[in-house]
Amino acid sequence: MLLAQLKNELWKLFGKKRTYIGFAMLLLAENGVCFALYKTHFSFQKRLLEGNGFSMEPYASALTTALIVLSPIAPLLLPLYVALIGGDLVAKEAEDGTLRMILCRPISRVRLLVTKWLAGAVFSVALVIALGVFGILCARIWFPWGSLFFWSPEDQIFTMFDATTGLGRYAAAMLLMLAEAFSIMGVAFMFSCFNVKPAAATILALSVMLIDFICYHIPYFQDYQPWFLTYHMRVWVWALEEHVSWWKIWQSLSILVGFNFTFLVVGCTAFQVRDIKS
Amino acid sequence: MIELRQLAKKFGKRIAVADLTLAVPRGEIFGLLGHNGAGKSTTIGMMLGQVWPTSGAVKVCGHDVTIERARALRKVGAIFEAPAFYDYLSGWRNLEILSHYTAPTSRQRIREVVDWVGLTGRELSTVRTYSHGMRARLALAQALLPQPELLILDEPGSGLDPEGIAEMRQTILRLHRELGLTILLSSHLLSEVEQLCSRIAVLNQGQKVFDGKIADVKAARGRVALKTADFGAAASLLSEQGLISGQEGEKFITLRDGVTTVDVTRVLVTAGIPVEGIWSHEQTLEDFYLDLVKAPSPVAKNN
Repeated sequence: MLLAQLKNELWKLFGKKRTYIGFAMLLLAENGVCFALYKTHFSFQKRLLEGNGFSMEPYASALTTALIVLSPIAPLLLPLYVALIGGDLVAKEAEDGTLRMILCRPISRVRLLVTKWLAGAVFSVALVIALGVFGILCARIWFPWGSLFFWSPEDQIFTMFDATTGLGRYAAAMLLMLAEAFSIMGVAFMFSCFNVKPAAATILALSVMLIDFICYHIPYFQDYQPWFLTYHMRVWVWALEEHVSWWKIWQSLSILVGFNFTFLVVGCTAFQVRDIKS
Repeated sequence: MIELRQLAKKFGKRIAVADLTLAVPRGEIFGLLGHNGAGKSTTIGMMLGQVWPTSGAVKVCGHDVTIERARALRKVGAIFEAPAFYDYLSGWRNLEILSHYTAPTSRQRIREVVDWVGLTGRELSTVRTYSHGMRARLALAQALLPQPELLILDEPGSGLDPEGIAEMRQTILRLHRELGLTILLSSHLLSEVEQLCSRIAVLNQGQKVFDGKIADVKAARGRVALKTADFGAAASLLSEQGLISGQEGEKFITLRDGVTTVDVTRVLVTAGIPVEGIWSHEQTLEDFYLDLVKAPSPVAKNN
């Protein structure tokens, strides 16, 4: 029964054109950045590597490009599209009046929300997979297959892998990026459960994320970084460290699970006490 | 089938429904009347577990909606004013989606209901291509899918043209006759309610001001039309004699209990007032309703 209801939620979600905005924009953005990198011949990365005594040639690859593209897209575009859908899940149905049609049926509000959250999670998985696959495909159009070079000054990561290991690390990073997508979807979903318009739920979720992100980047709060949600949402980057710190990754994942559970409980509580009126 | 006991709902300081006690017996077509904001939709919302009562109890099909909502609504179908659907999906997919919130529904059952409401041939078109009448049929189909015993209709005729309203009326009668459903009909269309319902309740500013049979409404208060050369003198005389309790305009008098039109005629003729015509006037639901809602309710005073 839950599966049938989830299937129906997915029909509703993927039957809407706006659900595909994220996929289309990610494809355009990734291809655009890859093309720009192709035209500039990795000039910045080249200077960086050669300044450290390495040759850029083996690392000017599709994998390196895909990760350069992902670095800004993951914290900026991915949250936007996930929050857009997460904010719609309940609030749009309330706005359109279909929620009233559902709630004259003998389904409990909590069960309905859990089904909707799962549908949002499926969307998040699909978007992250699309992000990863589009990234590699777009990069491969312009660059050859080869080794991976990744540099993230913020996380003090400067690593190089051969193509096979690099692809494994790339896949691991994408897998961990799901935690980021679920968390943003969870925040937007929580706001969506309140009596607000869908756009308000999306904007509130993005605002929370941006405020958290800004605070996390203020040097004064450097000692408090593990208290910020966006710090833990960078867990995917840590899969690209030379020696992966699994303890740090599991710790962040656990904290994100806790956050997500809290968001769901707050959303369910707000929705449970609400009056659903036309 | 539906039992409301001292039901009340406040939105902030505003009283939407006050101390409402009502029973809808099995097998009836029950009308719920009231102007906009009278509390009809809020009451229906509380029956369906969409609006939480501030106090009181709501039982549907023998189960308390606030405690056992799933059990209470298992055999309930509902249609709202301007029913909303997933316009970008087909009518069939909408029915599948909505019916699965009650129980798994077979394709055969959906097919039967689509046939019953007369949507066959258009069920695979997207809902955005449906006319208002087709949407109303789709709304009926989704309400019938769980094989309900109780159908709650909240302003189902809203936005329909006269042809659509007549069709809706026939459909409601057919549902009652063929499927034996208990129907709660909330409507502004007094003529529809008058033709369809056996009992009514009238809400005014959140309070019940009448609950009874339509037949009682029509026969209410011994209203009689009197045609005479001097209506004023006739009314004064009848009032002095204690035969009438009131008059309306230059045409109607209201007889006291036990007084007949023969008694009135005899008194007038004896007094030399010629009677050109006298007959019992059956009160319409509209007259009755307007009389009821004219009187200020205690809730209105509180507000």
